[in-house]
Amino acid sequence: MASISIPIPLRERAKSGVLGWLATVDHKKIGIMYMAMSFSFFIAAGLMALLIRLQLAAPNLQVVDPNTYNQLFTMHGSAMIFLFTIPMLVGGFGNYFVPLMIGARDVAFPRLNAFSFWITLGAGLVMLIGFVFGARSDAAWTAYVPYSTKAFSPTIGMDIWLIGIILLGIGSTLGAVNFLVTVYSMRAPGMTAWRIPMFVWAMATTAGMVLLATPVLTAALIMLVADRNFNTQFFTANRVQLWQHMFWFYSHPAVYIMILPAMGIISEIIPVFSRKPLFGLRAVVISTVIIGLLGFTTWVHHMFVSGVDPAIERFFMFTTMVIAVPTGVKMFNWLATLWGGSLNFKTPLLMCIGFLATFVIGGISGVMQGAIPIDQYVHNSYFVVAHFHYVLFGGSVFGIFAALYYWGPKITGRMFDEKLGKLHFWLMMIGFNITFFPMHFLGLQGMPRRIATYDPGRGWELGNLIATIGAFILAFSVLIFIINAIKLRHGEPAGDDPWEGNTLEWSTTSPPPEYNFLEIPTVESDRPLFDARMRTPQI
Amino acid sequence: MVPPVTRDAVLINDLYNVILIFAVIIFVLVEGLLIYSVVKFRRRSADEMPQQIHGSRPLELLWTIAPAIVIAVIFGLSVDTMSRMTARGTLSNPVAHVHAINDVAARQRVERAQPVDLVIEVIGRQWVWQYKYPGGDGVTTNEELVVPANKNIRLDMTAADVIHAWWMPQFGPMIYVNPGEMSYVWFNVPPGDYIGQCNVYCGVAHAKMISKVKALPQAEYDEWYAKQAAASSAATRPGDPEVGRDIFMNSSCIACHYIEGTKAQGRVAPRELTHFASYPTIAQLDGFENNAENLAKWLRDPQAVKPGTAMPNLNLKAQEIEDLVAYLLTLK
Repeated sequence: MASISIPIPLRERAKSGVLGWLATVDHKKIGIMYMAMSFSFFIAAGLMALLIRLQLAAPNLQVVDPNTYNQLFTMHGSAMIFLFTIPMLVGGFGNYFVPLMIGARDVAFPRLNAFSFWITLGAGLVMLIGFVFGARSDAAWTAYVPYSTKAFSPTIGMDIWLIGIILLGIGSTLGAVNFLVTVYSMRAPGMTAWRIPMFVWAMATTAGMVLLATPVLTAALIMLVADRNFNTQFFTANRVQLWQHMFWFYSHPAVYIMILPAMGIISEIIPVFSRKPLFGLRAVVISTVIIGLLGFTTWVHHMFVSGVDPAIERFFMFTTMVIAVPTGVKMFNWLATLWGGSLNFKTPLLMCIGFLATFVIGGISGVMQGAIPIDQYVHNSYFVVAHFHYVLFGGSVFGIFAALYYWGPKITGRMFDEKLGKLHFWLMMIGFNITFFPMHFLGLQGMPRRIATYDPGRGWELGNLIATIGAFILAFSVLIFIINAIKLRHGEPAGDDPWEGNTLEWSTTSPPPEYNFLEIPTVESDRPLFDARMRTPQI
Repeated sequence: MVPPVTRDAVLINDLYNVILIFAVIIFVLVEGLLIYSVVKFRRRSADEMPQQIHGSRPLELLWTIAPAIVIAVIFGLSVDTMSRMTARGTLSNPVAHVHAINDVAARQRVERAQPVDLVIEVIGRQWVWQYKYPGGDGVTTNEELVVPANKNIRLDMTAADVIHAWWMPQFGPMIYVNPGEMSYVWFNVPPGDYIGQCNVYCGVAHAKMISKVKALPQAEYDEWYAKQAAASSAATRPGDPEVGRDIFMNSSCIACHYIEGTKAQGRVAPRELTHFASYPTIAQLDGFENNAENLAKWLRDPQAVKPGTAMPNLNLKAQEIEDLVAYLLTLK
């Protein structure tokens, strides 16, 4: 690998200690803070899920009262989406690895980057502190009007929730601008479009979606805040669908905002652990961008029973189903990458296989629900709960853990314990499926989501009990991960490139120096480090 | 799925079963390839270097076109099911919305859409479904809708407060019931008892917003209706606390009210009713003394006694009020 010299920019010497973190504009430190914040919210929202599952373990339980239950599922959904999955993938991994993978010394606007993080953390704390001190929304993460208006949700908790999400939207919009400019203008010499790593492609597509979708949600939230506090009339009678359109115009793309980076992650890991290039790289890139575009054309499928003209519904049924084609292309390309490879079953690859095995179920049930007649039956039932957990846990969360095991050694300079990693994977795989697979049947048996309890005799007892048992296995698996992460400080030193990686982040030290690369590398293919290994005679 | 009892539910069920076949095939294919790869292509030596294949145009075309065909078939089947759901016999257009409650032209279109034997007005409110029968006899029910079996029924639905959804899984499709809008549902079901519940989150007692349909043979329905019509005008016997208790425990009262040691575990109402009879006043209203006469007045129309109270007018019949009063005054 050739390289050219660009002087390291003069910057204030990095401060150490607490001030070093508070004042940092280093994309890596900001990335680590995003990861730490997101993982904390993952734990908090996960504990809420355990309470939810305890309450539903048997009919008519009163582990928490119905009011608290409703607040719990509202915060569980909001936190998992807005405070864990998105900031972990975009803020955490995106921040840390996009500059490293394109051979840059930082993002384009480091101070803006720091601002994005601190506003995100501030928003998270506003929501969390509100929750802890009893100012809680109970309107679900969808906050449908008129339930979320002053008349039916008079408490301050609803306003705090709205303001929290508005602030998060500002943080992620600014972050998106930063990523787009960084990827567009700061790539290492020679990194043409087809040599950009898949994760970076996914992040750029995601950033484009965030930039186009988030302002619509932010507008809707501000309108609702105004309705509640300044007597404006945006969402008054006869306009209940307006909120749903604006909300889902953001929140359907949000699903792709949460899954595309995870797809990017496994597109990096599978080739490395198969010792093969990504099969059909260009098709995967094009599919990613097409998913990003089509993601904006499907939002009405959340409204098939709320009163939309049937002709319009048919159009959205079409677009919804069409998304399965580029998604299927990626699925088969990943399988073809594994096919004929030399598979090294370390934890990162296991997590990717977990992704493939479970995400396909979420994809298939997505097409099933896309069929309007079926949606008119399963809408808002536990079938939907099963579906999106297969997409967002089976997909995104397996992707997040794959990334933590894959890049953890780069970030910390230490290797995870493989035995604990494998235990974590198997427990998570088993616990996840035991928790969420029975929910398909519960939904088909007529169990609606968001109910605080249920009467016996509807055929829901067994499925709920199994799901609750699964949830505790799942929680235990995350505990194993935490133990593994704590043990990391005594882990084996990782060296620069423990996995025989393909991309530029593995060419620098672990952890990388503040300036990332002593000399800016030049790139001649989509796998610069693979090329370098092939050229270096093995000793 | 739960056993379908309407033609629309059967159509949905059939479509589901067909798409499930595609789903299982794709699932088995993907998981099969994955498991095969995992077993077969395990790394066997540290310096093993597999063939570097960057892609294959024919294969990639295959797995672009094949899924596209499957999707096209599923789309076609779905559209076909939709069109049959809107064209079957007299029960056309099973789910319909009109976006303004006073859109006269739209309502006339609904009325012309098909012959119906019985039209019932439905109001969804936090947290009860209320059904009002035509005919001026003042017959109303809460939670449970009683209809003649094997007749074409239309429900004209709206919501009093937030969005609710009316879903009887055995009838097939659900529909949102929006405030300020009308939603229409047609069905024709065999005799039986059916159960469903509100399917849009609507607040603290959402889980207890049950909807039941009892379909009776015409003769039994007529008998039931005559009894209701008579009961709605005047009480025919003194209040019976046992009957009152049954009414209380089997209706939406328990969604909001709490009585220790019973299935009434609602926590919406500010005071529990365990010792209701020993409270000096009703609804914490100064001067509104807790006695049989005031209690009957309160149950008849809570809003008239205490405007703004969360307790809705449940359209109780005279006899039901007598029985409930008798029951509630036993809670010492």
